[in-house]
Amino acid sequence: MEGLFDYAPAIALFPLVAFVVALAFGNSLPKKGAIPGILATGGSLLLSIAMLAAVASGEVYHETLYEWAIGDAVSDTGVDGVEFTFGILIDPLSALMLVIVSLIAFLVHVFSLGYMNAEGETGLPRYYAGLGLFTFSMLAFVYADNLLMAFMFFELVGLCSFLLIGFWFRTRSAPSAAKKAFLVTRFGDYFFLIGVVAIAATFGTLQFAGDDSFVAAAETAIADGTTLFGFAPETWVTITGLLVLGGVVGKSAQFPLHTWLPDAMEGPTTVSALIHAATMVAAGVYLVARMFGYYALSPTALAIIAFVGGFTALFAATMGVVKDDIKQVLAYSTISQYGYMMLGLGVGGYVAGVFHLMNHAFFKALLFLGAGSVIVLMHHEQDMWKMGGLKEKAPVTYWTFLAGALALAGIIPFSGFWSKDEILYDALIVGLEEPIILAAYAMGLVAVFFTGFYTFRMVFLTFHGEPRSEAAEDPHPVGWSIKAPLIVLGVLALVAGVANLAPVAKLAQLDITFLESWLDGEFGAIEGLTYGAYGELLAYETSYIGTESTTVLIAAGVSLLLAFSGAGVAWTLYNVPEPVEHKERLGSIGKTVEDNYYQDEYQVWLAEGLTLPLSRAADRFDQTVVDGVVNGVSTASLFGSDRMKRLQTGIVTNYAALLVTGFIALLLVLGILGGWF
Amino acid sequence: MMIETLIAVALIGALVTFVAPNRIAGKLAFLISLVPAGLSLWMFATFDGRGNALLEGDLAFESRLEWIQLGAYDISWFVGLDGISMPLVVLTTILVTLAIVSSWTPIDDRESQFYGLVLFIEANLIGVFAALDFFVWFIFWEAVLIPMYLLIGIWGGPRRKYAAIKFFVYTNVASLVMFGAVIALVFGLGDAVTSFALPEITAAMLDGGPDGFFGVAGPTLASAVFVATFVGFAVKVPVVPFHTWLPDAHVEAPTPASVLLAGVLLKMGTYALLRFNFTMFPTEIVEPFVVPIAVVAVISVIYGAMLALAQTDLKRIVAYSSVSSMGYVILGLIAYTHFGVGGATFQMVSHGLISGLMFMAVGVIYNATHTRMVTDMSGMADRMPIAVGIFVAGSFGYMGLPLMSGFAAEYFIFFGSFGADFPYAPVFTALAMFGIVVVAGYLLYAMQRAIFGPYSLETDYEVSRAPLHDVAPMFVLLGLIIVLGVAPELIFEMIHDAVDPIVDGGEL
Repeated sequence: MEGLFDYAPAIALFPLVAFVVALAFGNSLPKKGAIPGILATGGSLLLSIAMLAAVASGEVYHETLYEWAIGDAVSDTGVDGVEFTFGILIDPLSALMLVIVSLIAFLVHVFSLGYMNAEGETGLPRYYAGLGLFTFSMLAFVYADNLLMAFMFFELVGLCSFLLIGFWFRTRSAPSAAKKAFLVTRFGDYFFLIGVVAIAATFGTLQFAGDDSFVAAAETAIADGTTLFGFAPETWVTITGLLVLGGVVGKSAQFPLHTWLPDAMEGPTTVSALIHAATMVAAGVYLVARMFGYYALSPTALAIIAFVGGFTALFAATMGVVKDDIKQVLAYSTISQYGYMMLGLGVGGYVAGVFHLMNHAFFKALLFLGAGSVIVLMHHEQDMWKMGGLKEKAPVTYWTFLAGALALAGIIPFSGFWSKDEILYDALIVGLEEPIILAAYAMGLVAVFFTGFYTFRMVFLTFHGEPRSEAAEDPHPVGWSIKAPLIVLGVLALVAGVANLAPVAKLAQLDITFLESWLDGEFGAIEGLTYGAYGELLAYETSYIGTESTTVLIAAGVSLLLAFSGAGVAWTLYNVPEPVEHKERLGSIGKTVEDNYYQDEYQVWLAEGLTLPLSRAADRFDQTVVDGVVNGVSTASLFGSDRMKRLQTGIVTNYAALLVTGFIALLLVLGILGGWF
Repeated sequence: MMIETLIAVALIGALVTFVAPNRIAGKLAFLISLVPAGLSLWMFATFDGRGNALLEGDLAFESRLEWIQLGAYDISWFVGLDGISMPLVVLTTILVTLAIVSSWTPIDDRESQFYGLVLFIEANLIGVFAALDFFVWFIFWEAVLIPMYLLIGIWGGPRRKYAAIKFFVYTNVASLVMFGAVIALVFGLGDAVTSFALPEITAAMLDGGPDGFFGVAGPTLASAVFVATFVGFAVKVPVVPFHTWLPDAHVEAPTPASVLLAGVLLKMGTYALLRFNFTMFPTEIVEPFVVPIAVVAVISVIYGAMLALAQTDLKRIVAYSSVSSMGYVILGLIAYTHFGVGGATFQMVSHGLISGLMFMAVGVIYNATHTRMVTDMSGMADRMPIAVGIFVAGSFGYMGLPLMSGFAAEYFIFFGSFGADFPYAPVFTALAMFGIVVVAGYLLYAMQRAIFGPYSLETDYEVSRAPLHDVAPMFVLLGLIIVLGVAPELIFEMIHDAVDPIVDGGEL
């Protein structure tokens, strides 16, 4: 098994090769770069599965492969010398994530054959090159063994996101959306980079795992009460943790940096599925899971994560309710679902958060690809009010989409139910002790209702009722390269929950929480990076309503009830032959929600209403005052020399007069100084 | 004799090109410039220097020849390289070769004189980075100005005379201040020095410093000289508020002159700051100035970036962004840590490559469109996919995208200054780092308007793809940027080695 890990770098390097091939030779290749992409991601998938199997057999891998930069620097804790390296860390968490990412990348590549190649699209090599570069960066991010390497690839996936959102660059909207996405996430990454620099300067290491990791160093510092950068160690860990969290909030589209994600839907739907639903947006949450030991040291940071998550879950879900564009509904739903994951991690539910990350990757990629299929069916129409009645005409798309919708809404027994329920359960038992967590739980719970509502509103408007446009009456057929990925993901959306049937396990006293065992290192893990190890660091107290079983039942019952009632309201309103809009009934609230609570407005104002005028004022200041002084000095000296010049009249008598005057003046001065008078 | 050969080839090449027919001058200058480029790469590969040139390090390619006896002082031809100057020499020779190729399209008037002047600049730039005697160094330092003045004044844009004179007078006055200060310092050191050799002056400075001069006490004199030299070099860098000559010079200069101006000439300022202010002066002299300089550095970064955001001329955007990037260098220098000073040096090389690339890309777009205003064009990616692709890549390099050299440089600087010992170092670092957001803002904004969107440009001709010889130099630069981003140790190792003695000897 040991030899297998030598091939680990290839998991990321395969797609990098595909990127180079597509960029250099794409135009002369038969499918414009699709084939190398499919082969590369297929190879990555097989290798990732092999890694997963290796971890299951008890092997883990943690190896520094390359020294990027080394130098002398004394850290705040006295570590002398620092090495910035690239290395690979394959443990239960990263092996699982590698499989998720490479599987979805592979399916999206296959889907693209039917979606992008079909319609005489130009610039396909650029598209496949972008996908290749993205997959490379994402996979390298996933198995990065230190925070700097993670940051570097975190930024690179941001670049790929920019390039792919702006794929249709000849429009006005796509470049604008691409710019916004990069800029908003860059704002988050600014804090992240300060965090990286601060952690490196504090502990002299950025390793995630092992005795020389910054997590272990922070633990020691807290135990010893070492002052760090003038702060108490707990405070400093909280500050640096929150700085890193800035990047997480940006990338995982959490409030208040969520505004870029709905705009990012300007990109091709395949890109939305891969990057803006299943993988890149997950990078933020994954990072929290990756360095969970660090956050576990700071109850404050965790509480903030939980609260931001709970709030985002509810906030985004309400906006999803009023959208008419199928991709917009999914975008807000994505923001909301990542809010749940943050909530889960924030309450210490490491397994629940990762579980939902996995399930969401499957069902949301499914829903986006399903939406892509709908968009093909509808001849590039995305407005749900122009759809309807697609159920009979496109059964594969309908049934797979329905599976994804049931998972998203959290209906038993689909995968989303199990993971969302586990998150809410974990939040509840902590919330019974901590009021602020209880508030986060309550928001997450209310969001379940809205999720059920917008999900089924979307399903009914799209697939049920009568066709509401010519396109819907005569849909464009879709091929097998589109249907096959949908079926694979549809099955996963149905069954992936089996990985961790926690409520069943608790009620029936069965040992069937495979994911929990997996993440707890029962198969194999690196010391300190297990669920159990994190649990020891966590300071949370928990309690139950009555017994554990009652609590499990109440939590599951309430969330199911809310999901069903949300879906039920959608049923009565929209599962009719001729559905109508109900927005007017909401009045001014509806207007506010439809305008996304003016979140975009204030952020655009910050950029265009504040920063830009400020920069123009600075420019005026620079031109008039700063440069004015420079030009003033020049003008003054020119003026002075011009006056001096007038002494040179060229008339001899003038010179004679000056000569005599000067001589007399000189005599006088010398005389006065010499005391002649 | 290696350094002499480099300078001699460039000088003789300049003369030969000057008298060559216009028709072949460009190709000839390119062939000649390959010699110093190849030679300096070979020197880089065989580099065996250790330590810092001013702090008793072992020099590579050292040569020293008595020249003039001036009173009690010897002036000698004294050249040599250490880990700081070696990468800068390679940067110079490579950038000159590429700048020559990038001139083939835009320069169509008095070619032999143009290319002759470019080679003449090269000779002097190599001299600046290699000279270790103050007088020799100062001759090269001043001699750089003349050809650049002519390049802007003759081949420049509509306001070339204003820009050229501003550039010349401004930087020349600054040189005067600096020159007077250094001479005063040498006299102040009295019997402790017998020559103008920089290592000797440095040794005397660190070993007690000046006794006093004309009734001014030693430490006061040293502080005054520190301020005067700082201001003198700050104009060259340029540091806010001495930066206003830069955008004018860049906007009027022809593309290849901009490439050299941003790529190498600005580094003369930061290089001299590193050699003089932050190597020669003992800690106690520098200490009171560190916080004010940190303030200036942060202002340069943020204010420069804000000015770039307000521009609509692509060249002005890149010009102001240089002010911002040079602010990082100052921040790294005052950090007095290995990564801070080393990162600042790395940034000199990295920014040379990236800003060179950006000016070339803007030049190639200008060759085709005859405008640089982002408001005049839209969707250029439609017509010039390769040139625009490189522009986008270069822009992301400028934004500090990882695996490109700019990220390595900025990361080293940020890391070095965050842990530095001066007061509020983390706060200053965090403030300066906000530059990475603003830089993304103005470059993306410019790209959105000029490069993406529906194609529109008012011309009476068809805009076509750029010729290969316009694009090839940009690929070379992009390649170097990525190589240094992936493997910064290629030069960081030798930089580190030369920076160590500064930090260890003069730590704060």
